[in-house]
Amino acid sequence: MLRDYSRAGGRRWPWSLACSPLPSSSPPRAKVTGSVPASGDGWEGVIVTPPITKPKATLTDTSGQPFDFQKETQGTVTLLYVGYTHCPDICPQHMADIADVLKTLPADVSSEIKVVFVTADPDRDTADVLRKWLDLFNKSYIGLRGTQAQVDDFQRQIGISPGTKEDLGSGNYSVSHAAFVIAYGADNAANLLYPAGVTKDTWIHDLTKLVREGWKES
Amino acid sequence: LKQLSLARGAAILGGAAVMLASLVLAAACGGDDSSAKTGAPTPARAAKLTVVDQRARATVNDTTSVYFTVKNTGAADRLLSVKADPEVAGVAQVHETVTEGSTMKMQEVKAGVEAPANGTLELKPGGYHVMLMNVKKPLSVGDSFKLDLVFEKAGTISIVVPVVQDVTATGSPATKAP
Repeated sequence: MLRDYSRAGGRRWPWSLACSPLPSSSPPRAKVTGSVPASGDGWEGVIVTPPITKPKATLTDTSGQPFDFQKETQGTVTLLYVGYTHCPDICPQHMADIADVLKTLPADVSSEIKVVFVTADPDRDTADVLRKWLDLFNKSYIGLRGTQAQVDDFQRQIGISPGTKEDLGSGNYSVSHAAFVIAYGADNAANLLYPAGVTKDTWIHDLTKLVREGWKES
Repeated sequence: LKQLSLARGAAILGGAAVMLASLVLAAACGGDDSSAKTGAPTPARAAKLTVVDQRARATVNDTTSVYFTVKNTGAADRLLSVKADPEVAGVAQVHETVTEGSTMKMQEVKAGVEAPANGTLELKPGGYHVMLMNVKKPLSVGDSFKLDLVFEKAGTISIVVPVVQDVTATGSPATKAP
């Protein structure tokens, strides 16, 4: 699906989803073409059009129980990220930043937010590995896994090319993964994305607004 | 006056930090005794590079990342490779995080990374990092380990990397609008 990510929020993003050459095998991808000046109390995240719907999928949580994503997150502000625990850079940074933000937010806001991490690397990320890694940041984080086919399908449903493995030698590999955290509102649609490098101030601003006011264009 | 004695001041500060906090461990002042303090024979040609703000994430599996900043007051140089103590990690590579459409991935930077003339090379989350793989034993906050940085011109600079809780703490996020 071609999405328009052009209406970024009140800040200019130093990155661009369009800045890297696309793999030739990929379908055309959405692009960030710039940013629109802040309109007072507008959103600071990247606005995605059309909004991303929730994938219809049942994965497995870290206690081994089935997790129907639509049902379990119904009506709840949900931050969704797809990554893997051997990711040394962006994945832990997002998870640590969000954990800090949840501690900073007023209780009436933070208690209304679910954080779901789906591994793109279920071979290495067993339930136990995933739980230990998430607990480093926040014990309330929900970790999901499935077969490689299931997590690949999950990613396709949210417009992400499923992770390809890149050999790093000595039995190591890296996995490509989502370039952004997807923020679903209580209306079960995601209009906002948060790429790597987003500041905690942006999280605090937008999450407070999303929980208290819900999504509306401004 | 402060500006006039900047170089000397930086050297003194660098030396002090080596002794006090192990935060600055490069050849801030070539030919002086700073190399003796690091225990590594730092060639005189390394004189223009200073490595600061090195830090690593704690491990939960056998991988982690290391970040640092290289300040270069001389001609352009290049970070070619990194070497970890085999007892710490089996593999150490310089990696780059790149975004491709809706996904991002890490890849090894085999050609090395430039430390620009009279500039700064910053390894930080979302950009360049050193990736340690096959880490031999868990690294926890408060631990530290040695890492050799191999530069094209400056040769090898040994740094001691502390494992910290928040790897963004010493670096600027630099995500503000220009």
